[in-house]
Amino acid sequence: MSFPEKCKEAILAGDINLSKNLAQETVTNNLDINAAIDAFSLAIREAGNLFEEGEFFLPELMRSAEAMKAAMAVFEPIISEGKESRSLGRVVIGTIEGDIHDIGKTLVASMLSAEGFDVHDLGADVPISTFIDKALEINADIICISALLTTTMIGQKRLIDTLKEKNIRDKFKVLIGGAPVSKQWTEEIGADGTAENAVSAVKLAKNLLAL
Amino acid sequence: MIEERVVLLDGAMGSLLINQGLPPGTPPDMWNISKPEIVQKVHQGYFNAGSDVVLTNTFGSSGLKLMAHKHGSRIEDYNVKAVENVRKVCPEEGYIAGDIGPSGVFLPPVGHGTIKAFEENFFEQAEILAKAGVDLFFIETMIDLKEAEAAVKAAKQVSKVPVFASISYQKTKRGYFTIMGNSVEECVSSLQDLGVDAVGANCTISSNEMIDLISEIRQFTDLPIIAKPNAGKPQLVEGKTIYQTTAVDFAKDIKQMVENGARIVGGCCGSNPEFIEEINHLIKR
Repeated sequence: MSFPEKCKEAILAGDINLSKNLAQETVTNNLDINAAIDAFSLAIREAGNLFEEGEFFLPELMRSAEAMKAAMAVFEPIISEGKESRSLGRVVIGTIEGDIHDIGKTLVASMLSAEGFDVHDLGADVPISTFIDKALEINADIICISALLTTTMIGQKRLIDTLKEKNIRDKFKVLIGGAPVSKQWTEEIGADGTAENAVSAVKLAKNLLAL
Repeated sequence: MIEERVVLLDGAMGSLLINQGLPPGTPPDMWNISKPEIVQKVHQGYFNAGSDVVLTNTFGSSGLKLMAHKHGSRIEDYNVKAVENVRKVCPEEGYIAGDIGPSGVFLPPVGHGTIKAFEENFFEQAEILAKAGVDLFFIETMIDLKEAEAAVKAAKQVSKVPVFASISYQKTKRGYFTIMGNSVEECVSSLQDLGVDAVGANCTISSNEMIDLISEIRQFTDLPIIAKPNAGKPQLVEGKTIYQTTAVDFAKDIKQMVENGARIVGGCCGSNPEFIEEINHLIKR
């Protein structure tokens, strides 16, 4: 089995140890780290495709994302020694205040992180000010704000309005998510986008940052 | 009664309370204590519309769920009061169903929950509901079969009243599955083996999407089947939540589900007494 095939096997099986070992093997044997990361990235994308096709479900996708993160954690110290960062961008993510639903948000966070974004997950029931403070603190590229209830969705608008009031709307891309979120709502409140699921969310985030 | 005719459940509770001023993010269960008269009015509306069975406003009143809302210490109050609220308006021929919803906690790798924690959680709630005198248990909106099993076991352990169990399926390219990947066959067989008195589906999908699901459930069981779909997907239009499906279309879909084998029918998110009235009218029981 070739190295990319082994990576694929590790990620699709959600095998954290195997994926860690493969990454370690690359480092120990002084192999091409970028090629290895590409192999892992292809594998996690395959996991995403399987999810979209109804072959994978939440547990499988979460396991794959965890295996991916384990591999990336091995590469991380070596990458950061180099000049160029592999991080695709910095993301602040959370579920809006008053809403404790966080399963979708957590999945998006895992997938973004697995794909190489630097993700700061604030959890659920997060006040607008916390989103903004964190985004400013880490100089985020993207703020992702989730709401499962139509009653709490209004918080997504408040976040954007607050960014405008503070004259920092242009500093961040704002992605919104949650079952009741529609394209129409996204346009109405002036968000930068929404996605049907975690896999599309990663694609959207990359598109927005022109990656 | 199930043998004689189609049994009519109620419809949504939370969205109606929101219309009455329940603040965003506040658990609807809180109003069992602080605004019992409004909760009772909603129950009354359903009985008047023709519901045979009305569910207690305890969807989020298990210990784990209340803890997430920082109301963990009031579990007994919430559940006992909820049963009283239905009993106050329940006609002689009506039934009180003790509603049990998901804990909001997930098993690994999604979360850090355990089966034991599920079992303790549901045992606690079911015991309070049983003591308060519910006529049956209605376990609903379960998206993980393992959690549903824990709830069924708890309900069976505390009481001899019937246990209805309803799973929330999504429609994927490969058919109906829970978000955790449990198939219809897996859910139906497992719940049946645990001795539930009715199995079925509620929430997540709208009435037109549930028609085929009911036929699929029928393939795997002879138990009475529950159908309790959403009234379409919620949309926020000018600050108001609108559900796409009308009561008339909803009732037509329910009629089709009854023809496909559903025996216990009602509405989930976005429905209201008008929906129940329409079903009652259309299936002319």
